[in-house]
Amino acid sequence: MNRKFLSTTIFYLAVVGIALVVLFPFLWMLSSSFKTQVDIIAWPPKILFAPTIQNYQKVFGEQDFLKYFMNSTIVGVAAVGLSLVLGLPAAYSIARFNQKKLAVFILLARLMPGISFLMPWYIVFSRLELMDSYTALILSHMLIALPIVIWIMSSYFGTIPREMEESAMVDGATRQYAFWKIILPLSGPGVITATTLAFIFSWNNFLFSQVLSMEKTKTLPIAVYNFLSYAEVDWGGVMAAACAIMAPAIILTMIFQKYVVKGLTMGAVKG
Amino acid sequence: MMQSGFAERNLQRLFPLPAVIFVAMLMVFPVLYTSYLSFTNWNLTSGMPATFVGWRSYARVLTEPRFVNALVRTFIFTFFAVAIEGICGVAAALVLHRAFVGKSLAKLLLLLPLVATPVAIGIVFNLFYDPTIGLANFVLTSLGLPPGLWISNDKSVIPSLILVDVWQWTPMITLIVLAGLAGLSDEPIEAARIDGASEAQIIRWVTIPMVMPVILTALILRLIDALKTFDIIFAMTGGGPGYASETLNIMGYKYSFEYFRMGQSAVILVVLFLVVFTCSLGIMKLRTASEI
Amino acid sequence: MKKLVRNIVVLSCSLCLCVSATVRAQQKEIRVLLANHPYGELLKSAIPEFESATGIKVNAESLQESQLTTKLTTEFATSSSSVDVFMTRPLQEGKMFYKNGWYEPLGAYDFSDYPKNVMSVATFGTKAYIVPLVTEWQVLYYRKDLLAGAGIKVPATFDDLEAAAKKLNSENIAGMASRGKGAAAVTQLSSYVYNYGGQYLDKGVAVFDSKPAVDAIRFYGKLLGTYGPKGVTSMSWENIMPLFQAGKIAMWTDASVFYGQIIDPAKTQLGADKVGIANFPAGPKTDSPFIVTSWGMAVAKQSKKKDLAMKFIEWATSKELAAKGMLANITMARSSVWEDKAVLAKVNPGLVETRAFAAKNGYPLDRPYMSAVGEARDLIGELIIDSINTKGASPNLEKMAKERVEKVNELLQDTGEYGK
Repeated sequence: MNRKFLSTTIFYLAVVGIALVVLFPFLWMLSSSFKTQVDIIAWPPKILFAPTIQNYQKVFGEQDFLKYFMNSTIVGVAAVGLSLVLGLPAAYSIARFNQKKLAVFILLARLMPGISFLMPWYIVFSRLELMDSYTALILSHMLIALPIVIWIMSSYFGTIPREMEESAMVDGATRQYAFWKIILPLSGPGVITATTLAFIFSWNNFLFSQVLSMEKTKTLPIAVYNFLSYAEVDWGGVMAAACAIMAPAIILTMIFQKYVVKGLTMGAVKG
Repeated sequence: MMQSGFAERNLQRLFPLPAVIFVAMLMVFPVLYTSYLSFTNWNLTSGMPATFVGWRSYARVLTEPRFVNALVRTFIFTFFAVAIEGICGVAAALVLHRAFVGKSLAKLLLLLPLVATPVAIGIVFNLFYDPTIGLANFVLTSLGLPPGLWISNDKSVIPSLILVDVWQWTPMITLIVLAGLAGLSDEPIEAARIDGASEAQIIRWVTIPMVMPVILTALILRLIDALKTFDIIFAMTGGGPGYASETLNIMGYKYSFEYFRMGQSAVILVVLFLVVFTCSLGIMKLRTASEI
Repeated sequence: MKKLVRNIVVLSCSLCLCVSATVRAQQKEIRVLLANHPYGELLKSAIPEFESATGIKVNAESLQESQLTTKLTTEFATSSSSVDVFMTRPLQEGKMFYKNGWYEPLGAYDFSDYPKNVMSVATFGTKAYIVPLVTEWQVLYYRKDLLAGAGIKVPATFDDLEAAAKKLNSENIAGMASRGKGAAAVTQLSSYVYNYGGQYLDKGVAVFDSKPAVDAIRFYGKLLGTYGPKGVTSMSWENIMPLFQAGKIAMWTDASVFYGQIIDPAKTQLGADKVGIANFPAGPKTDSPFIVTSWGMAVAKQSKKKDLAMKFIEWATSKELAAKGMLANITMARSSVWEDKAVLAKVNPGLVETRAFAAKNGYPLDRPYMSAVGEARDLIGELIIDSINTKGASPNLEKMAKERVEKVNELLQDTGEYGK
């Protein structure tokens, strides 16, 4: 009994250790977001301080946070959603038909440095008059999300035994049907991981959003730079903006997580 | 259910088709454009239009010591960052791969560094790393250790940047590997346990080999991004002090938007692309080998 | 199936086009790009007045300075721009933008209220292309309390400066701070170089390897290497400012724009009584700090609505708005607002004094004035870092300076600006 207790304790200590390392900068950012500029740069660092909400007031009031949030959400959801529609079938095909060259081709999109897309895309999108809409942003974010979805899901589909759909096909179902009804439901964890990561990458993307967005379609990461002025760095504002940007993403992924747990426990068809 | 035989037979073409069309549409023009630019001497500061100069831009860039240094630095940064992230990430995944109280909370906390906007993190870490009023030195001196210069010194800047990168991206490896571990079948592990193998042996000889394809998947994804790391370096040092933290991507940005040498910048980006491509191919071959 | 997919793709593309086209109805609308600058903020808040007065809708975007350049360059270089009016930095991008034909000549604008030396960087050939907005000049910020406590007078010469830095330097407080981060430091070094009798460029030829210039670089390196804050070679103003505000720096040379920040009680515990602003100290040769036009406004040549753009720029650079800017402690370029007693009464006296001095004696450039200025700044920056790292004693400095001068001259030749 003692041994088990010891190993469990060590386990929990390790988990707490990991959690602290992960959390430390956030805790600092969060506490700084409630400090005045004076307190943030104080030395020695202040642990006790008089909190203020003026930073958040600036973020939500002056900086039109809601608009940025809506834009990031629209672009992210659309980009990831479309990437799933295009990517899941492609990933399945790569996994089952061993289409290595295809995998490499899709991955190529991820290999190019972002800067090299800026000018060519600007030419195309502005000629097509797509600049003032979400289309340009969504398309550019899809180029980020799609390879992630395909890359993770092709590997994940590979771990699902072929017998799953083959037994159904023997019974007369087509491969598409088997994909739709059997493989996809089993892919919960993989899809969630791919979706979460793709969404995060889209959410945090700075370069494309900065150049391809117009006033109406600006996304959240731009908001952080609003606090970096020509002659001023508003540390409190930066911290508050950073926290505000992360909060929705965290909440969204929290909701996502609950869905998966529910889905999996409601009876997966596992042979 | 009636399905056309055509669809069934050609599924391997139809399923990927939309994705392929999409990628081709968005990628073809930029690839052609950048390649074309790399063969010109287009320099906005001269006010003259681009003229075709063949390999001359390549010759100019590739022979410059600053370029070679950036290339080497890109490799060093990437190699160490990804290696550390791989080891820590897999270790963390193994630790967390069991049912325990607070597992969903732990997974959520793990997501946080990933969710943090890299640009914001860079700015925040700048303050953190300040040698005089930064929290990093405060922690060090409180523990009785000597304070460091972090990103202000050309010898410690790369390790300091790697630290930030490791903090931010290790969770991604952990999450992907965790999902992979969750999909493993229990039989081989149970069998080994029954055979009397210790936990360490099981991990080393059964679990890890089984999940290796997933680990490599995660590493490839991470490698590609690490080679192109931009946001944190840009936000924290801009390539400095001097050129001490200048990687290929940063140099490409500088040449594009600070020196306005579009032709030469395209050369740098082409080289970066080739580097990323070659490294990815290398690891992908590893992945195929391990899938057997 | 293939046909269906292709049809869907074509259909969605055309749908997108239709939607955007109908949205883009012909309205009186302009697109303005501003910088994250106090004046940009002021404009943004005043834009509704302009809109209701003229019926022109203004789509204003503000960006941080390097992103502004990235965006403008991407748009202009690909001839796909929809920008009508934008803020611009005459000294950093003026020449390059002019060369590429991105500025619209402003023949109809009345420039009489702007001093000649300010207009020198806004004019190319015989036409003016930029309306100057704000100026800044080099000053010395110092801790009144620390100087008083050590019985030192405000440094008036470089020797005074060094002596004061030595006396005030301690374990906890850096005696002297100035930018050390390579390219960013070039603008601050300029005043030191001028006061030693040197220059960056002389009539289109690089001359910063002259003895006076190298002496200045050595002095700069000695000051910062010995009395500067830790890690100064990677510090620009955004790193030094929090240190100063936290009370860790005794003296700081930089541009005048930061004064408001460092006496703002919300940002620093120091307070206006502890922080002083003084003229930049004199050097061995002369007393000529820089006074430059840091930002201006221009109309994009590619604009399709030039008449609307002109209306906007006339309003945005008007005397009324300039006066408003002055009251917000933004140091505007127009001469008239600096002669308006009512306005001056509200502006910080320290700024008024130091400006008067700089306007009389100062030099209108703070960097090599050339198209390839970004690269030139990096090259000169290497000298600065080397000097700081060796506390000014570097044996290689002359040789390095000569090599950098050659490179800069090459740049000048490549762009056809050599000797002009």
